[in-house]
Amino acid sequence: MTRDWWKHLVLILGAIIVLAPFYMMVSYSFKSPGEIDRGEGGFFGRQEMMIDPRCVALRQPDRADIEAARDRFPGQDDAGVQAALLAETEAACSMRPAVFNYTKAFTEAPLIRYLMNGVIVTVSIFLIQIVVALPAAYALAKLKFWGREAVFGLVLFCLLIPVHAIALPLYIMLAKLGLTNTYAALVVPWTISVFGIFLMRQFFMTVPDDLIDAARMDGMSEFAIVWRVMLPTAIPALLAFAIFSIVAHWNDYFWPRIVVTGNRDLFTPPLGLREFKGDGDGSFFGPMMATATVIVTPLIVAFLIAQRRFIEGITLSGMK
Amino acid sequence: MAVIETGAGAHATHPEHRQARTAWGLAAPALALMVLILLVPVVVAGVLSFSNYSLGNPGFDWVGAQNYERLFTRSTYEKMFIATLTYVVTVVPISVGLGLGAAMLVHSLGRIGDIYKTIYFLPVMATLLAMAIAWEFMLHPTIGMVNRTLALACGSWLEAIPFFASGCADGFPLWLGDRDYAIWVVCFIGIWQGFGFNMVLYLAGLTSVHRELYHAAEMDGAKSAWERFRLVTWPALGPTTVFVVTISCIRAFQVFDTIEAFWPQGGGPNKSAYVMMFAIFEKGVQQNLIGIGSAITMLFLVFVMFLTLIQRWLVERKVHYG
Repeated sequence: MTRDWWKHLVLILGAIIVLAPFYMMVSYSFKSPGEIDRGEGGFFGRQEMMIDPRCVALRQPDRADIEAARDRFPGQDDAGVQAALLAETEAACSMRPAVFNYTKAFTEAPLIRYLMNGVIVTVSIFLIQIVVALPAAYALAKLKFWGREAVFGLVLFCLLIPVHAIALPLYIMLAKLGLTNTYAALVVPWTISVFGIFLMRQFFMTVPDDLIDAARMDGMSEFAIVWRVMLPTAIPALLAFAIFSIVAHWNDYFWPRIVVTGNRDLFTPPLGLREFKGDGDGSFFGPMMATATVIVTPLIVAFLIAQRRFIEGITLSGMK
Repeated sequence: MAVIETGAGAHATHPEHRQARTAWGLAAPALALMVLILLVPVVVAGVLSFSNYSLGNPGFDWVGAQNYERLFTRSTYEKMFIATLTYVVTVVPISVGLGLGAAMLVHSLGRIGDIYKTIYFLPVMATLLAMAIAWEFMLHPTIGMVNRTLALACGSWLEAIPFFASGCADGFPLWLGDRDYAIWVVCFIGIWQGFGFNMVLYLAGLTSVHRELYHAAEMDGAKSAWERFRLVTWPALGPTTVFVVTISCIRAFQVFDTIEAFWPQGGGPNKSAYVMMFAIFEKGVQQNLIGIGSAITMLFLVFVMFLTLIQRWLVERKVHYG
């Protein structure tokens, strides 16, 4: 241990740099605009009550409010009533900075909707990838047919093509079909995972033929074998693939940026965050960091819970 | 492999034929999608790169190699190549080197090292766009943590360094607004984000190096740690290194999120961070100049395929076993 102190020193310094933006993101998501500006308040900020200027501006008492409230403040002139009302509004509009930032994150933009979109898109991509890749992988691994080598050669060739790189022709094709600004546009280019086919095929090669023959003896069709024999044996590989696929598509920004233009209903979490940045003025740092925290948290928490599986899954991703 | 027929009704078709038919049936959806989503677009991009096509216009003209000619003559694209290559040439070696270094340190610490592994892997998992925005705040010239931290050094002996001296006198750099710094900041974030991934790949490689090899090397006179690294560890990690370098290159070519987050309108101060992926997006999607966008796409594909083929060749040719 004492011999290793310099290793710890180097690694801790590295860890500080790696963690700094996370620290800042979470810390700013708790602080009031003033504290962010002046760079004070430690990690959580002082959490003093703050007044939301936009909320006050929206509820500025007008003539009618003053008339209506006159009974509640007997013996006051108009200015006095107005001042009293303003004080009430400010009281109603004041809250802890942390609460302010997170409620703003969820109310200023439909963040729940964005998160739902993220879930819908990543889950549909993963399920379709499995439905398409698994039978193909089984055929390539376990069935003999004329042209198998050619098909596998094609798979190997397609591994060379990064989907992000051919975004432009894909975008044109989807635009021609009138599919831009639909869920389909977000999902379709990712329905085929050549890497998934390759990974599953390698895995199926290790499954003993006897298992399949036994299933055939029981009168199972090849189709049934794929889903009722091969799928359960492939669960570990599928899990690794699921992690890779979900992490990649939850975090993806490039493709949604291209095919979703303007239609907020289809925004995925990164697009939603980007938009927040677009219209936020200086005082919106807190809510923006709260949004960023909300988007980053699900995967990080899942990762911290099941580290080993995550690392396996991502590492397998090799040919992204 | 014999297919065992079951049931009484032996079919007219030969069982092998039937299996072939099922196999094609099972592979058909994947095959169709591979052709439609991966191969056709490559061909489409290839064809369009010789045209001045744009979406929404009814017709288009063939312009021959004009798009490619532009890529190699105009200064914007010269900047694109410079920015992309700067990024790749900086990020790949450093993130691979840091990945290897971190892996060796973490590996030598045993179980305690796992905490560092977890921490260094966090950026790989985090949404890069969100982290880019966090970095933008860190690098903010007035309220950012980076410049504030640097300013702490003012008045100390560190002011002997010219960078600190000028920073304390005239303010520290604008980082993202300065064309001398912009691309390096992007490189730094690329390294920050990616080296944990390389570290994990190297850790996997290190666990498969046999202890006996180190003993053997020691017996042969490799006394210093450096000698052991040079004679045992490094050759044993050969295949991992080839793999890590290739993946890092391919990922580095694809950098986009940070660039778009920092400079939505144009790829950095004076186009100093105008990388290829951003160029494809800007030309092809935003400006609807699909011909030129397709030409960049084709060039991009050539780079990536070339890299991957080199990798395959290297792995097949010289796999070391210590």
